[in-house]
Amino acid sequence: MTTSPSVEGTTDVPAQVFEKFLQALEGTGVSAELVARLRKTLLEDKTFTERALKEAVLAEEPLP
Amino acid sequence: MIRVESLTIREFRGVRDLTLDFKGKSFAICGPNGTGKSAVVDALEFVLTGNVSRLSGEGRGDISLKQHGPHVDRRSDPDKARVTVKVTIPSLNKTITIERSVKTPAAAHVTPNDPAVLQVLVQVQAHPEIVLSRRELIRYVLATPGERAEEVQALLHLDQVEQVRVGLQKIANSCEKQLPPIGTAVTLARENLLRALGIAELTKERMVAAANAQRAILGLPMLADLIESMSLKDGMATPGPAKPQLIPKTQALADIRAGREALAEITSVATTTRVAEVTADLTTLANDPAVAAGVKRETFYTTGMDLIEAGACPLCDTLWDLDALKKHVQTKIDRLKEASRRRIAAETKISPLIAGLRKVQAAINTVVGYAALATPPVAIEAARDYSTNCGTAVERLAAFMPLTETITVLPKLLIVPQAVFDAIGELEKAVDALPEPTKRDAAREWLTVAQERLEVWRETMRKEKAAKEQAQKARQVSDIYATTSDKVLAGIYAAVEKQFESIYSFVNRDDEDKFKAHLIPSMGKLGFDVDFYGRGFFPPGAYHSEGHQDSMGLSLYLALMRYLQGAAFTFAVLDDVLMSVDACHRREVCTLLKREFPNTQFIMTTHDPIWLRHMRTEGLIAERSAVQFRSWSVDHGPAQWDERDVWTEIDDHLKKNDVRAAAALLRYYLEYVSAELCHRLRAPVEFRGDAQYQLGELLPAAIKHMRELYSRAKGAANSWNQREIIEQLAAREEAFSMLAKTSNAEQWQVNVAVHFNSWDNLGKEDFEPVVKAFRGLLGGFTCSDCKEYLRVSLDRETPESLRCECGKTNINLRKKSA
Repeated sequence: MTTSPSVEGTTDVPAQVFEKFLQALEGTGVSAELVARLRKTLLEDKTFTERALKEAVLAEEPLP
Repeated sequence: MIRVESLTIREFRGVRDLTLDFKGKSFAICGPNGTGKSAVVDALEFVLTGNVSRLSGEGRGDISLKQHGPHVDRRSDPDKARVTVKVTIPSLNKTITIERSVKTPAAAHVTPNDPAVLQVLVQVQAHPEIVLSRRELIRYVLATPGERAEEVQALLHLDQVEQVRVGLQKIANSCEKQLPPIGTAVTLARENLLRALGIAELTKERMVAAANAQRAILGLPMLADLIESMSLKDGMATPGPAKPQLIPKTQALADIRAGREALAEITSVATTTRVAEVTADLTTLANDPAVAAGVKRETFYTTGMDLIEAGACPLCDTLWDLDALKKHVQTKIDRLKEASRRRIAAETKISPLIAGLRKVQAAINTVVGYAALATPPVAIEAARDYSTNCGTAVERLAAFMPLTETITVLPKLLIVPQAVFDAIGELEKAVDALPEPTKRDAAREWLTVAQERLEVWRETMRKEKAAKEQAQKARQVSDIYATTSDKVLAGIYAAVEKQFESIYSFVNRDDEDKFKAHLIPSMGKLGFDVDFYGRGFFPPGAYHSEGHQDSMGLSLYLALMRYLQGAAFTFAVLDDVLMSVDACHRREVCTLLKREFPNTQFIMTTHDPIWLRHMRTEGLIAERSAVQFRSWSVDHGPAQWDERDVWTEIDDHLKKNDVRAAAALLRYYLEYVSAELCHRLRAPVEFRGDAQYQLGELLPAAIKHMRELYSRAKGAANSWNQREIIEQLAAREEAFSMLAKTSNAEQWQVNVAVHFNSWDNLGKEDFEPVVKAFRGLLGGFTCSDCKEYLRVSLDRETPESLRCECGKTNINLRKKSA
């Protein structure tokens, strides 16, 4: 997927960037769960706060 | 997305009641400064997005939409300030009405409001960039790279992309920030373990060998290996000796020695040298007020940023939009890069001091623990206090700011009170005096302490491993995001760059048809260099004229909009842009908009009637797709040039015997309309370089040319042998000449100023015939049916016909070919 068209074919640039990022992440050995959590945060919930991102990135392991 | 059919503005900004019928086509609003053009732009933005950018955002101070959106006489009744727009949505093939009041700007009343319609409106609302003013346009071109990036990012909605980048970077940084203290804890735990085991190197073989030596004394089976699930004490019977010794003598003496060594290290020449270096660096920072203030501010903003959780300032509780507040604070942090760099350099030097202090603190705490177990207890308060002070000093150095306090702490680190050494000496004596345990007891003690310290070491190792994995993962995610987003954005900028070059070189193809540009994204900034006639790439403001810069701004905007909205780019408002572009290039802009953006409805404002004519002659707008504001008053808002209104207004002035006002309005209108007539009829007028044509030149030229056109039409009719038409034209010509004679217009050019100023001295009865004569004269230039002024229709610059908009009047001007 190279673009993320929204209403009437307008280009949703953030969605386009997030999608490419998640694709790149999948190919690096990062856990599928982490990618799924980030996908939900960035593309479904569309929440971009540090707290939401932290939960997505570090969810399975609380900070020591 | 949408096309605007009509706009109705009531009690909004400077408008009392105004309806503009765009008919879904490109439309121009022309008028001098202060006649209400911007109010129309504001109204369009308001009704479509619920906001007026001119009344919000940075630098607007106390101005707000709610308070200053309504007409000044309605400021206490914002519900009366309403804007209604009728729009079509081509993709849905629907026409809808949107109404907003300033009282509840967020609530749009949409009819019909089915989900598909609302989804399109959400998209429109998310794209306030449909309105482009010269202020914004010039920011694309002349702003600093950082500011330009912000403008372009806002247009492309890259703020979310940037927010995620910053968020992931902060998470990675915060994970990495945890590693040094965890690393220090591991080192201390390792040293404690080595001391307990009595070995110099922590290898499995040596650990097993040391443990087996003690286990042999107790008759326990030898350990072949040492894995995580195994204990050094495995198989050891409990309880221990009948009279257990509270202090493990051997271990305690080793720990006391370690405490002394830690104290020696903190007072060593190496530490003294480092303290001196750090003190000098911090003093330099503190003595440079700008840097010190910068570091202080950077610390303050960074702390503030961490505290922003809800939509309010953590300092003053002022309500903010959460994202706007974070962006606001981040901008301030970004501006303090130099302060940040110097702070990081100083913190790097401080880091070993913090590690040394932690080591001393841990060693002293172990010793203090033994003191409490001694019989009688040993007074160890001095050592305990020193340990507490070490902890405070660690916090102080880690906090870094205020610099003066950190500087004050540094020399104290090197001073260990004698009482500390004395207390440790006392404890050492007490421990030394303890009876030697039996070999078996000593072995049991050895294995117990060693296992405890092994578990502590294993736990710190686990924590360190987990922290490293987290940090590595967070950094990996952050790096991949940075790389991917840079790559995607570079692709976007490359596409926009290509579009920009194509659009700009179209407008300026006369001399810059091979124009090239570079959009260079880098670290949140966007560089922009343009080719200057093959001499190299420079910033747009370096050599290009102001007009070219305006042209670049519009070209970049159009390129971005085309990329962003694609086929959905159906509507845009260009508010007084291109004022510095010359006439020739404006024509090219008209052609560009018409040819390259045929499906986009442009609503354009200008104070320049010549620019308006270019739009018409180049076919960007239809003859009727424009309105000209002639004046504005606080009581009535903008006044358009409308023939019926003008004559009614003049009559009203005369009814009040106000000849001066009636004369002024008549002259003003004649000035406007005679220029329009010369334009429509293509009447030759002596050229003026400053384009400041006088009424005394224009109206006679229009009258003369109208007669010539009738004469030409008669000649054409004669060539076609159209006798009846010749007679009709002769009658029209005669009637027109009578009207001209009555107005006595042809004499005006003799002394324009004296002649018109003399109107002021006339009485009502004297002036009424003048008004009647000019009204009649102007009527002679119109179609008897639609009342529109006639115009010459051209075929490749050759007059073809004299006609009106409705087509009722259509007089042939071309002779039959020979």
